[in-house]
Amino acid sequence: MTNISVRTILLLTASVIVVAILTIELDWMIKLLAILVLLGSMTYVTLALDARQGQVKELSQLRTTCEQLDQQAKRIIRSDLELHRTQEALDRKVASLLALHALSQRFSLGHGPRDPRRGIPSEGEGRVNLHPEDLYGQLTPSLVSSFGFSKGLSGVCQSTGRVSWKTLVGVSEHEAQQIEEYLHTSGLISQALANPMPRAVTPDQTNPSAATLLALFQSRCVVLAGIKPSAGPSGCLLLAREDAGLSSEEGDQDLVGILADQLAIAIESSALYEEAWNARQGLERTVQERTRELEAANAQLTRLNKAKSDFVSAVSHELRTPLSAVKGYASLLSTGQFGSLQPAQKERLSKIEKHADLLTDLINNLLDIARIESGRVTMESRPITVKDLLAHLAELFKPQADAKHLTLSMDADGVDQLLGDPKHLPRVLINLLSNAVKYTPEGGAIRLSMSRHNGQIVTSVKDTGAGIDPSEVPKLFQEFYRAAHPINEQVKGTGLGLTLVKRIIEAHQGTIQLQSEIGKGTTVTFTLPEHPSTTPQKVG
Amino acid sequence: MGSTHVGIANGTVALGWSNHPNALTAGETAGRMASHRMTDHRPRWAVVFASSWFDQPKLLEGLHRALPDVILVGGSSAGEILPDGPTSHSCVVLAVGDDGMEVASGLGVGADRDPRLAGHEAALQALKRFQGKSRSGFLLFGDGLVGGYTETLHGVQEVLGTQSVVAGGLMADDLRFTQTYQYADDQALSRSVVGLLLGSCAIGMGLEHGFEPISRPLRVTAAHANILQQLDGHPAMDVYEEYFGDEVMEHVHEKSFTRQLIAYPLGIQGETTDAFLLRNVREFSADGSVVCTGEIPEGATVRLMIGSKELALEAASRAAQTALRSLASVRFVLLFDSASRRALLGSDAAREIQQIRHIIGLSTPLIGCYTYGEHVLSTMQTGAALVIAVGE
Repeated sequence: MTNISVRTILLLTASVIVVAILTIELDWMIKLLAILVLLGSMTYVTLALDARQGQVKELSQLRTTCEQLDQQAKRIIRSDLELHRTQEALDRKVASLLALHALSQRFSLGHGPRDPRRGIPSEGEGRVNLHPEDLYGQLTPSLVSSFGFSKGLSGVCQSTGRVSWKTLVGVSEHEAQQIEEYLHTSGLISQALANPMPRAVTPDQTNPSAATLLALFQSRCVVLAGIKPSAGPSGCLLLAREDAGLSSEEGDQDLVGILADQLAIAIESSALYEEAWNARQGLERTVQERTRELEAANAQLTRLNKAKSDFVSAVSHELRTPLSAVKGYASLLSTGQFGSLQPAQKERLSKIEKHADLLTDLINNLLDIARIESGRVTMESRPITVKDLLAHLAELFKPQADAKHLTLSMDADGVDQLLGDPKHLPRVLINLLSNAVKYTPEGGAIRLSMSRHNGQIVTSVKDTGAGIDPSEVPKLFQEFYRAAHPINEQVKGTGLGLTLVKRIIEAHQGTIQLQSEIGKGTTVTFTLPEHPSTTPQKVG
Repeated sequence: MGSTHVGIANGTVALGWSNHPNALTAGETAGRMASHRMTDHRPRWAVVFASSWFDQPKLLEGLHRALPDVILVGGSSAGEILPDGPTSHSCVVLAVGDDGMEVASGLGVGADRDPRLAGHEAALQALKRFQGKSRSGFLLFGDGLVGGYTETLHGVQEVLGTQSVVAGGLMADDLRFTQTYQYADDQALSRSVVGLLLGSCAIGMGLEHGFEPISRPLRVTAAHANILQQLDGHPAMDVYEEYFGDEVMEHVHEKSFTRQLIAYPLGIQGETTDAFLLRNVREFSADGSVVCTGEIPEGATVRLMIGSKELALEAASRAAQTALRSLASVRFVLLFDSASRRALLGSDAAREIQQIRHIIGLSTPLIGCYTYGEHVLSTMQTGAALVIAVGE
């Protein structure tokens, strides 16, 4: 009932009561009092009615406000939930990207030296040195949950189309076996390898195979990606989450794609690395085998060389005695003690003497080389006065040089003393000067010089001879080698001179080298330590 | 995470940590790290929190190898806490040497069948091993997926008395809501209660959540234990539909939705105070009822709650300050932080740990875990930060 109708009733009632009071026979004072009471009551009731009307209005306003607040609360909750979901998705994306970054760092750090026999390293090691197949085992629970999934499988695909799981996250071995069986029979693995792009499997009533896979995972969303590196084993990656709705994000597949690509690249690198590693190992093995063979050959050669030296030494001794007799008798015959000689006989005897001398030289040199090589000769270290040495050499070679109109000069450059074997060291210079004289054409020049350099006495014998082809230089110190030179065809030689020289210099802890240029001449330079070590040197 | 502060140790207390994917190695590494950092003592007892993703028996085997003859308690979590901040898929260890403290552990099983008896057994076993020494408090590690935890607390009180300090958390499983684990020496059990009785020390506790009511008050017209059946005479799920919308309700049976709902706990209004007891939704039943993480009393007034990062951080600071109030010095701190707070704080979760560290002291050893429930005495919360400081 509205307030207006209540007021009308009240007014009618009051009017009836007033009429009644007026019609009843009462004292007018009482009538007046009754009417006044009636009016007062009516005023009170009217005021009460007004107050109630205000309260109802207020209550109504309050209720409206509460409802509005509640509506706002709902809007706040929904907005907050939306915000929360966005934040969660963002956090997950950040976590996925960080996980991808960390994984990529670990993979990129992993190409250092490694031992292929090593097992799976610690996650905290920061360095991944794995076989290509082991990389399929890098799918950790941390990685799976970083991508917003709760289950994960990764494995190597065999040529038979079967999958050998390397990682199980949130999936039991039995479940993994069932999933593998299904992937094999349904041909999903072949499809994933033919097109490795990640594909999301979500509930789809028109696709019963999706339902089977989801049921096997007990999940509502499965992402399957093929891993197909250009080198190394192919495989697949499956990630699943129990819910498909709120947590599904469009970017998930992209991120899983990046993860699969990263794994593929790491597997590829690892396979190539392993290939290179195996090749290197093979090479090292071959080098070791060859080294062993060389060492054995070298030992054999050393034995043979010694045997040769011993043989040469023995034979030379045996030869020298009869040769001395030949030479002695030829000399006696040439003196005419056994009767006068015909010119033809003299000429033949002269040739016998000459060849006997040559043979003696050859035998002596051979004996010396053999002695030095066999270690039977110890080089002494005694002071040799350079001035005396040079005077002796000048005395020896001046006549020969003059005969060929050669300019022979010697310069000690302040070097007054050599330390060496007084018996062998002069032979070096004699040999070198002898060669220089032999190979320098008439009118040429020969220069012997000495100097000090870095604790070494450097001696060189330089001539302006015909020179030697540089390709022959390394062979010149070999035994019996004689350079192709017209003079060698005319002048006999043993081919042992430079070999002997080299042995003597090395026995003095020195070095020798020869430089030559055709048409310009040859320089032989050898060094001797200014202060050789006290230990007597042996060459063997 | 850098874990540069895992090295914090104060003579008899040391921390260990590992995120190795292999459970055995993770357990052994974390255990050895804590053991090696305790230079002058041998570890006597240890608290361990670890990811539920680990193969739990292997994890415990690794821990046992590194910490033989050590009393070990703890459980699986929804994330682990180190002085540097939150971490995941890891194992954290706080090992304590012989520093004069008295300890004894107890185990109660079958908390799903008889939660009160499980609590009773855990407390009784610990008390027997404690051999009448002076008690300071009882740390409790329960199963966050088993209802009736208030009953478990009553079971503990039956043994230790209502005045005993009992605090702890409900172990979690990385928000998978499948199976949680409680650690007792070398065993990893589910649906169990593990307790550690402490003596000859002082224990300070602070429990704060920072959530605010957002919905209109709703009367619990039908509820049984932790199952909320009706609100204002309607199926409880209708309220969620009303507030979260139709679109969201399509996913009401998905775990991802319940995971998101932990940021909006249900607050039970106190009869005499303005404080709210928080409950998280664990799942929605087909009949429209809602399974919560703790008991919902029939007749109570409840409200949907909402949180903000600022309020959550302030609450954590308050909890730390409260925990320190009664202590002269602190040896170490255990933090039971609600999984909903990590969800709420997101990338700012580390700030919460840093704020707590600034209050307890940067050099104070601290580990913790994200839980499905936190309790002090008989007050069971979800969405709260429980700071337990042990000292003098």
